Amino acid sequence: MKKLLTGAAFGALMAAGAAQACSPDFSGVTLSAASQTGPYIASALTAAAEGWKAKTCGTVNVVEFPWSELYPKIVTTLVAGDAAFDVITFAPAWSPDFTPYLTEMPADLRQGALWEDIAPVYRDRLMVWDGKVLSQTIDGDVHTYSYRTDLFENPAEQAAFKAKYGYDLGAPQTWSQYLDIAEFFQRPDQGLWGTAEAFRRGGQQFWFFFSHAAAYASHPDHPGSFFFDPDTMDAQVNNPGWVRGLEDYIRASKLAPPNALQFSFGETIAAHAGGQVAQSIGWGDIGVVVADPKQSKVAGTLGSAILPGSTEVWNYKTGAWDTFDEPVFSPFMAFGGWQAAVPQSSLNQQAAWDFVTFLSSPEVSGKAAITGGSGVNPYRASHFENAQLWSAIFSEPEAKGYLASQRDSIEAKNVVLDMRLPGYFSYTEVLEIELSKALAGDVTPQQALDTVAAEWNKLTDEFGRDAQKAAYRAAMGLPN
Amino acid sequence: MTRRGRYWALFFCLVWAAFTLFPIYWVLITSFKTPPAVNGGPTYLPFIDFAPTLDAWADLFSGRRGQFFNTFYSSTLVTLFASVAATAIGAMAAYALVRFPFRVKLGAGLLFFAIAFGGYQTLTQGFGFGRFDAALRAFPSALVAAILVNRLRLPGPVLGNADILFWFVSQRMFPPIVTAFALFLIYTEIGRAGFKLVDTFWGLSLAYIAFSLPIVIWLMRDFFAALPVEVEEAAMVDAVPQWRIFLDIVAPMAAPGLAATFMITLAFVWNEFLFALFLTNARWQTLPILVAGQNSQRGDEWWAVSAAALVAIIPMMLLAAVLGRMMRSGLALGAIK
Amino acid sequence: MSEIDATDTIRGRDPMKYVFIGPAFAVVLLIAIFPLIYSLGISLLSYRLAPPTPVRFVGLDNYAALLQQERFWQVARTTALIGFIAVALQYVIGFALALALKAKVPGEHLFRVGFLIPMLVAPVAVALIARMMFNPTMGPLNQFLSLFGLVNLPLLTQTNYALGAIIAVEVWQWTPFVVLMMLAGLQTLPDDVYEAAALENASAWRQFWDITFPMLAPISAAVVFIRLIESFKIMDTVFVMTGGGPGISTETLTLFAYQEGFKKFNLGYTSALSFLFLIVVLVIGSVYLAVLKPYLDKQK
Repeated sequence: MKKLLTGAAFGALMAAGAAQACSPDFSGVTLSAASQTGPYIASALTAAAEGWKAKTCGTVNVVEFPWSELYPKIVTTLVAGDAAFDVITFAPAWSPDFTPYLTEMPADLRQGALWEDIAPVYRDRLMVWDGKVLSQTIDGDVHTYSYRTDLFENPAEQAAFKAKYGYDLGAPQTWSQYLDIAEFFQRPDQGLWGTAEAFRRGGQQFWFFFSHAAAYASHPDHPGSFFFDPDTMDAQVNNPGWVRGLEDYIRASKLAPPNALQFSFGETIAAHAGGQVAQSIGWGDIGVVVADPKQSKVAGTLGSAILPGSTEVWNYKTGAWDTFDEPVFSPFMAFGGWQAAVPQSSLNQQAAWDFVTFLSSPEVSGKAAITGGSGVNPYRASHFENAQLWSAIFSEPEAKGYLASQRDSIEAKNVVLDMRLPGYFSYTEVLEIELSKALAGDVTPQQALDTVAAEWNKLTDEFGRDAQKAAYRAAMGLPN
Repeated sequence: MTRRGRYWALFFCLVWAAFTLFPIYWVLITSFKTPPAVNGGPTYLPFIDFAPTLDAWADLFSGRRGQFFNTFYSSTLVTLFASVAATAIGAMAAYALVRFPFRVKLGAGLLFFAIAFGGYQTLTQGFGFGRFDAALRAFPSALVAAILVNRLRLPGPVLGNADILFWFVSQRMFPPIVTAFALFLIYTEIGRAGFKLVDTFWGLSLAYIAFSLPIVIWLMRDFFAALPVEVEEAAMVDAVPQWRIFLDIVAPMAAPGLAATFMITLAFVWNEFLFALFLTNARWQTLPILVAGQNSQRGDEWWAVSAAALVAIIPMMLLAAVLGRMMRSGLALGAIK
Repeated sequence: MSEIDATDTIRGRDPMKYVFIGPAFAVVLLIAIFPLIYSLGISLLSYRLAPPTPVRFVGLDNYAALLQQERFWQVARTTALIGFIAVALQYVIGFALALALKAKVPGEHLFRVGFLIPMLVAPVAVALIARMMFNPTMGPLNQFLSLFGLVNLPLLTQTNYALGAIIAVEVWQWTPFVVLMMLAGLQTLPDDVYEAAALENASAWRQFWDITFPMLAPISAAVVFIRLIESFKIMDTVFVMTGGGPGISTETLTLFAYQEGFKKFNLGYTSALSFLFLIVVLVIGSVYLAVLKPYLDKQK
């Protein structure tokens, strides 16, 4: 009798188990997901693919392309209507060029606790275009500030700094303080330099420039007016706030290691992890690499904070500087964070969206966020809550500081979104050219930015001012 | 050569060898370095300056940084096939251009172009045909018309062998940017008509053969032209068929040139990036894309780049050694005249 | 020497000639003709993919806009500068190396294989390796130059230095091509001419100028021609090492086309640029061949 019951129970369990497998059932479905060459993002996709296969019996084939060729590859495939990819991962800045070819996220995925868990700045702004949710954030990106706690907490350094500059050494509240600190630690003969940022044309330089300018040119009372005037679509990039940002950026390049002008983000990380600089700004990867003893000479000394702000912000409406008692912080969501979407030409749209949801679910994405090479930075509220997860790579004070800086940045009141416009590369190309000229000293900051502004206005007219204005307002979350 | 001349030659070779091989050595050791060993400053000697590790290689083979084995396999197959095919038919064409007179009337050439271009434009813009359908109608008609017209007596200059040769070579003067895109478009359209070409062995190989031929023809032409024609004429008197003359007499005499050209074609195809990027996706992606992919958004991971680059270099080095041998024996053959 | 004239010989009527040239002709025509026609068609349109704007016929406007754009001319000048200097260096050094190898220096076989290697490395990899070597803090070159007192040269950040660096990399990579071809050419030279010259006690220098160089003139011309055409298409090296900067001072034509075509997807403009590029190279090529023709004909 007992045997029979056990047998029956066992049988029932097996049946139940079988019913659990492949839910929803996508057996026989093979998805193709396009991504940049691993490990960043691609390894997150591959890891999620394994989990998805166990759950739904469908397979995902991750196709990798070099980072700088991913954009042309996706555009040509979408334009030709080739059904090569079921899922594409891309930078939000490119989405305006893709939106005509993407499918909308199914309605049932846009509600519930999982949906609410996504940080609002991603959920309601970055993933949305023209009122439709066309992509899913699978990675969070914001620029933060990192520094060497061993230098900053050293009493001798603190005393010397206070004596020279008159205020306490600590994470800078304003960009002027940031430059002071850089100057203080600029000691080439000791192999230590002030700061590291990206300055190279084609090396993500303009995001770093944007981070500097945001504090001066993104006025808290005039949301969405950072890059363009939201009413006329005139370029704002040559206003005094921007010029000040460029001046700071150029000054930072002189307080950096000798070949800083050749730095892309990778070299920035390497400089900080190699112990060559006292501070740096950039994406969350700096923190993860610096804290890792296998990759860093200064593991254990990671200090993180949100980007410095400014007490003076340019008011474009009044044409004057506004002064604030407390510094206004305008953390910049550089790059915005990788998105995943499903093209209209895909033959497996339902399965594709299911995979995307699985990939961005709290468990899967949480695990990816703490895995070193995954390239996934936090973007869900649940990512920040679980400090336990992070202790695997950070020491406790490092973890707390890191998470706080990430969280404070994306939840800041005056957080600044990255530019998303159709024809994005046309705008950034001229910016990169002029930036490299200004950094080399061939033109003054004002001249460089005037050229950029003139060219941007010309491009806007060429592409259609009204269309661009509507797109810009949509991107900034302004009503049309 | 004099003794002293020999020493100078040796010295020169050594200097150049150092210049040439030092970067390769650097790449070799960097592939065994850890990130701090790279970021901290240049280190030169394994075990002395830094502790070598196999991490970069493990990463490469594990597939964390792109599908290594798949791309290696694709590269090998496509390269070998395309190079052999291109060298073979290119040598044939070069021989023809050296030994036989060709006459193409300029009028016929212009007519071909006019019908091809005009026909294609009219069909796509005027009648709304798809690209492939329009091409399928316009190009063959243009070719047939041109061939027929060529038989007639036309005014105007007659293009000879030198011009045909120049036409071949001019195919390589056109920047590959738009070509890659256009090829991708037509391949996609042909794929929609039923013959998948994107991300296939044949699609990629055909493209490579077509764009390697100009170089093969241009280079082999001079090698063939340098061979004495008396030997062939003697064979012709003996009524040996033309193809046997080519295979048994001419080709062996031109062996050094053939080997060199084959080597060059091999190098071009193995290392070609743009066409491979656009004409392949998952199945036939080749090594150069993998190498380029190591240059990631988050920065230059030199150890990974080095490992990938080495993998791409090593087969080529082996081949160079093998072909170097072949060239030596070619020297002996060439002396037997 | 063996070029035949266009008289109606037995060979002229031999249908085998079509069999020989047929496959090559067919493949090239099939694959290359569509892109050319397609590009020509688009070059007359205003065709942008990003942002997707409606297609408009603009005739020769793209060409006119390009010719008036200062960037086009500067880029053309830079490309020509890099191309001519690099190829000249490659030819001289390559020829010298081939001569040394032919003269059987000790270790010749090893040298031969070693010298070939740079040419076999993918251009993308070469560019990445170059960037690694030129890196002031992480690469060996800066340390090496410091030995000579040249510390922290702005090798990749200042135009003239950057151009020199790019040329150096090009010479490093492509001299093997010249070596390979010239060596093959040297190997096909008949020994009897040299024996006769040796009998006459001609010096090595005279032997070179009067026998070797003229006899190899056709191959030299062909090799330099190919190198010139190919060097006009350099992109990876510049893209990875300097990104075309500072500003656009090291940008080459193909890099310019790449930015316009694959970043901005301004296809009409890029096609026009490609055709202008083609015309420039055709002109240079034709002039080159025309100038050399009388000299080469003398050799036959």
